[in-house]
Amino acid sequence: MRTLAEINDKIQARKAVVWTVEEVKARVQESSVARVAKEVDVITTGTFEPMESSGAIINLGQTDPPIKIRQCWLDGVSAYSGFGAVDLYLGATQVAEYIGAGDVPDAEEFRDRGGGHVIADLIAGKQVHLRALGHITDCYSRASFETTITCDTINQFYLFNPRNLYQNFIVGVNGGDRPLFTYLGPLQPRLGNAVYSNPGALSPLMNDPDLETIGIGTRIFLGGGVGYIAWEGTQHFPLQKRLPNRTPIGPAATLALVGDAKQMDARWVRGCYFKSYGPSLMLGVGIPLPVLNEAIVARCAVTDQDLVAPVVDFSIPRRVRPTFGLVSYAQLKTGRVRIDGKAVRVAPLASLFLSKQVAIELKQWIEAGQFTLTEPVASIPMDRAFLAQDRWGSQITID
Amino acid sequence: MRHDALNFQSNGTRSRDYVVKKRATLTFPKRAVHMPVTYRLAKDFNVAANIIRAQVAPNQIGTLVVELSGDIDQLDAAIDWLRSQDIGISTASREIVIDEETCVHCGLCTGVCPTEALNLDPQTFRLNFTRSRCVVCEQCIPTCPVQAISINL
Repeated sequence: MRTLAEINDKIQARKAVVWTVEEVKARVQESSVARVAKEVDVITTGTFEPMESSGAIINLGQTDPPIKIRQCWLDGVSAYSGFGAVDLYLGATQVAEYIGAGDVPDAEEFRDRGGGHVIADLIAGKQVHLRALGHITDCYSRASFETTITCDTINQFYLFNPRNLYQNFIVGVNGGDRPLFTYLGPLQPRLGNAVYSNPGALSPLMNDPDLETIGIGTRIFLGGGVGYIAWEGTQHFPLQKRLPNRTPIGPAATLALVGDAKQMDARWVRGCYFKSYGPSLMLGVGIPLPVLNEAIVARCAVTDQDLVAPVVDFSIPRRVRPTFGLVSYAQLKTGRVRIDGKAVRVAPLASLFLSKQVAIELKQWIEAGQFTLTEPVASIPMDRAFLAQDRWGSQITID
Repeated sequence: MRHDALNFQSNGTRSRDYVVKKRATLTFPKRAVHMPVTYRLAKDFNVAANIIRAQVAPNQIGTLVVELSGDIDQLDAAIDWLRSQDIGISTASREIVIDEETCVHCGLCTGVCPTEALNLDPQTFRLNFTRSRCVVCEQCIPTCPVQAISINL
C-alpha cells in the first residue's frame, strides 16, 4: 500500500494525512477499513496513566575533589548509585525519607512524596536538593557532597522505564469487609467501587495487538519529548489469552521505554501518590502507527465493545487473585458495571481526557513535519512465558 | 435531600415547629468518645444526627461530620449542650475546591463520590464537579493522586 519511506517523505513535505486513533475508529464506522486505509498515512495513539516502573538516569558531573557516591538523596528520596562514580538511578516509587522528621515517622503527609515527584520537579525546571555520601578511595577523595541541582546543571537526565505501556490491565474491586488502599487507589469494602487503569480502545498496544508495526527502536512520544522503545518491558507476557480480535483479556505485553527527560514537558510527567500505597509517576506516552496495509487500520478500528478486562478481587492478598469474570471497556466507560449481580460504580485511573490529548499532540508534531516514523530495529518477542517465584507457579488464568 | 442544609443559614428564621438541617463538624476530646452522643441528641433534644463521615477510636480525638435535623430551638439547645460537654462544634460551611491546573482528569475521585457530584463527561472524559450535589464527605481528597482536591473554610 505504502512504505515507511514514502510516509516519511510525505511527513517532511508536510503532506502526510495523520489521524488520531479515535478519528480512525469514527471514520471506519461511517465508511470502511479499505477507504480509511487509502486516505490515512499515520495513526496516532496515546495514553496518560500511572506507570510506576519508571525511573531517571542522572549523571551529576564530577565534583572537585571528586566523589564516588555510594548513597544519595534527591529531596530526601534515595537514588541508586551502584554504578560509576556520579551516575544515579532515581526510581518513581522510592519514598522520601525526610531525614530529621523522626518524631512523626508515620505521618502520611511525610510520606506522600517520592521519586516520581522529584523526576517531575526536575522536568518542571525546579531546584532539587542533593545530598551524597562517598566512599573514599585513591581515585575519589571526597566523603560527602551537598548541593542544589536543576535540569540544566546535570549532564545526562533521561528516563529509562523498565515497564511501561501495559497492553491491557485489570479492574480492581474489594470483596472483603475492610477498605483497601492499592496501586489502583482506595477500594471500598463489599464491592463499594471498582477501578480500571487501561484506556481501552485508546490504548496504544490495544490497536496493534501483536506488536506488528512497532519494535525495538520505534520512535515515540514520551512525556512530551521524543523517546524510543528500548526493549520488551519487565513482566512482558504476550502469551496471555486473547480474543479472536487478538487483543489480550488481561495484562499482556509491556515495553521498556527510554527518552531524554531534558526535552520533556511537566504537563506530561506528573508525580502522584496513592494513599497508603505510595508514590508513583503519571506519564503521557504516544505511539504512531504507520498505515502500511489495510490490516493495520482494521486492528485500529477495534472499539471498547470488543475489549475486555478481568475483574480482580484485591481482598485476597495472593499473586493469583480470584476474579469476577470479564467486563468490556464499553461497560467500564459508562461508570457503572454489574459485578456479582450488583451495580458497582467504576472509575478510571488512566486519564482518558489526557490520553486523547497525547494522540492529538503527537498528530500535530507529525503534521508539522517535526516527527518522522522509524522502522523497528528488531521485533519484540511474542513468546515470553510468565514465570513466578514459587514451585506451584502457573500462568495467570482467567476463565 | 442533603444539600438543603446549605441553604439553612440564609433562611433560618426562628419559628416553632420549624425543622431545619445543619451540617456540623464535631470534635470529641478523648474522654468524650465513650459518650453515646447521637443517642443523647435523639432522646433529649429530638435531633436526628445523620453521620456523613466519622473518625473515632478509643483514646484518640474523634471527628464526626454530621447533619443535624430537628426543631430549630431544640437544635440550638442541642448545640449548647454539645459545647457544655467540651465537644468542639463547627458549623462553618466547608466546600470542596478542585485545582484545575493540577487535576489530570483521571477520574479516580468519581468512584468514591457517594452522590456523584464528581463525574466524568461521557464524551470528553473531563472531570465535572456539581457543587450542589456535594455533601462534603471529603473522601475525594485523599483519593486524588495528584492532590488537586482540597477543602476551604
